[in-house]
Amino acid sequence: MTGLHVCVRVADEDYAFSVDAVIEVADMGEITPVPGAHEAVLGLRNLRGNVFAVVDLAVVLHLADTEPRERIVVAEEGVRRAAFAVDSVVGVEKLPEPGEDVESPHLVGAALIGGALVGVIDVKSVFDCVQPTPIR
Amino acid sequence: MSDLDPEIFEIFREESAERLDRMVEVLLAAESGQPPEDALDSLFRDAHSIKGSAGMVGIHEAQAIAHALEDILEGVRGLDVFPRQFTNPLLRVTDALRRAVAGETDVASSALRELAACASAGNEVNPDESDAARPPLATDQPAPVRKPSVDRSIRTSVVKVDRLLDAVGETVLQSRRLEHLLGNGAGVDRGDERIEEELGRNEILLDALQESVIQMRTMPLSTITGSLPRAMRDLATSRGIEIDLRISGVDIQLDRVILDGISETINHLLRNTVAHGIEPAEERTRAGKPERGRVELRAEQRGSRVAIVVTDDGRGVTAELLGLTRDGRSLAGVLAEAGFSTTEQVDDVSGRGVGLDAVRTHIESLGGELEIHSEPGRGTTVTLTVPLTLALLRILLLTCGGQSFGLPLTSVEEAVTVTTTLSLNGREAIELRGHSIQLVDLAEIIDAGAPDLTDTAQAVIVASSGRRVAVLCDRVVEEQEVVVKSLGPLLEGVSGYLGAAILGDGGIALILDPAFVATARPHAAVVTAAPLPAKVLVVDDQFTVRELQRSILEAAGYRVKTACDGHEALTCFKADPKIGLVVTDIDMPKMGGIELLRTLRDDPAQSSLPVVVVSARGDEEDRRQGADAGADAYIVKGDFSQQTLLDTVQRLLAK
Repeated sequence: MTGLHVCVRVADEDYAFSVDAVIEVADMGEITPVPGAHEAVLGLRNLRGNVFAVVDLAVVLHLADTEPRERIVVAEEGVRRAAFAVDSVVGVEKLPEPGEDVESPHLVGAALIGGALVGVIDVKSVFDCVQPTPIR
Repeated sequence: MSDLDPEIFEIFREESAERLDRMVEVLLAAESGQPPEDALDSLFRDAHSIKGSAGMVGIHEAQAIAHALEDILEGVRGLDVFPRQFTNPLLRVTDALRRAVAGETDVASSALRELAACASAGNEVNPDESDAARPPLATDQPAPVRKPSVDRSIRTSVVKVDRLLDAVGETVLQSRRLEHLLGNGAGVDRGDERIEEELGRNEILLDALQESVIQMRTMPLSTITGSLPRAMRDLATSRGIEIDLRISGVDIQLDRVILDGISETINHLLRNTVAHGIEPAEERTRAGKPERGRVELRAEQRGSRVAIVVTDDGRGVTAELLGLTRDGRSLAGVLAEAGFSTTEQVDDVSGRGVGLDAVRTHIESLGGELEIHSEPGRGTTVTLTVPLTLALLRILLLTCGGQSFGLPLTSVEEAVTVTTTLSLNGREAIELRGHSIQLVDLAEIIDAGAPDLTDTAQAVIVASSGRRVAVLCDRVVEEQEVVVKSLGPLLEGVSGYLGAAILGDGGIALILDPAFVATARPHAAVVTAAPLPAKVLVVDDQFTVRELQRSILEAAGYRVKTACDGHEALTCFKADPKIGLVVTDIDMPKMGGIELLRTLRDDPAQSSLPVVVVSARGDEEDRRQGADAGADAYIVKGDFSQQTLLDTVQRLLAK
């Protein structure tokens, strides 16, 4: 891990994605709902001819939603790609090891920086949670 | 003439016309003293081919002429030079042959006499004359050897190719459906590696199949650029500007749909160079530029994409606009946002309303990109990058609950307007030409909120999986050819969809699986007999609380919708007026429970809707406030229990 992270704001809290997982950042744009999908899936977004599922980070992390989501962070894990809706993107920052304890299974850990806790998103875990599990 | 398929005749005529054109071209070149090196071979091949195909389709007149022509040419092929005196009679013979191909009769005899005269003349070819006709460089070269034709091709109609493409598209969807079925159990252990392996192989084969069909639909870029030089010249003249237009690389092959999609854009960009780019001659001279403006259209292949570059050496964009790109934004983005329509004034050249923003959106919807570079005073370069091919499917576009959906056209029989419905034993149906067809409401199937039906609702007759149903929707929009995208791994498991299509405006339409629609849960059409479980709306800003209440209510058989504050709750009502009960919190951001209650009570339609308040606040004052606002029940979170909630809900709904 490079330590570089894309830092975002969601429901007045700080979260971050490792830059290794991030493909790009874009505006929220127009979202097409997909009836029947997981509750956290806001819908689909057309980004230059590519279709991405947009996942509301606030729903996944059980946060009270306050601000309207304005930006998306497109992230990948293996062959899976999806966009995360966030309130705003703060920037790219070097974070210390996310050694602080967290409870959510969707966080790798939290980093303490400048007196604030930044939760580092576990992209794989979020994808696993949102993806419908085939019934055997 | 035989009773062959008229389509075959058409192909024969087209092909022969092309060959005759080429023969005339060669003969004219020979007449001007510069025959192509393989003139005789080329003429021989064409005559031979026409003879063969004329025989096949049974046009004997043409066959006879072509045969005689072939004989003559055979006789002189050894000469290695083209006997110039042949050109005139042979041109006349090609005319006769053309008429014969078109189906005229009585043209053969005169042509054959002409050829006989040629044959005798061919035996006494004047060497001087033939020397003059010999290409200068060919003197020491051996006679050209007749090469076997490598690049063979067949002709077929676009319709046939499209039909094949449709079938392949369907096959791809069918295999996705199968995969879906296997993924969802269906009595097969998906963990079986052999199945995985075979599915993988199947996918590769289908990809290859689709790829090669799509290749069949490609056409060169030159098919849309042919008229540009003349149009640009006229346009420049009308504005008192002189330009040199250079076009290169237009033999690149592109999918017909992409060609259609970019044709207007290229036109637009080129017109812009004249409308905004190139300066009048005197201004150019002052700037030290050549008087004539230079405009270039260049296409080049970059991997699986094509870059189409439009360059001019005109005035470029202003330094101020360029300055806006310093913070890392693209010039295309800056210009699009600035509402830049490439000229300040609206005129007949640049037009009205088609801004750069629209151009960019359009190109992006084709999976392409738009890039602009400009130097003030030096010129502008616009680069369009588009994919060479697209995976296409024809769909019928319809809307439901304000959202666009597509149904593969192959499963759609027709669209009808529903005025009256038949009802029996809780099922609704419509009558169509003396038969009843079960009616299913798309909004119910996909559980999307939709307004109540108007009396002129539209329905689409869908046939799939051996069933026919009338699918009710808000509006049938149109037939479209779309690019099919997978929903991606996160959504592939969601039932009911085959993929997503990107529409012309960049929007997305979900493509419905006709099999899913046709076999949708029968309760979708239930109207009265067995009332559906009531819909309960849970309003709370805490996700945990919402989820807890949802799971309790769903387990008890209710259909549950959730909202995170009063505002969202009101939106839910707009989308789905059939909500039968509300469970709401008091303290929420934006719009709290009390305000929500008051708003609901003010609406005559909702004034008697049962509302249960579940709040952390439990003192007398709070309860009184809730009751005043019109709450039917008040549960304190501290005393909350599954049973209390269910009892309360049941009691209120039973009223």
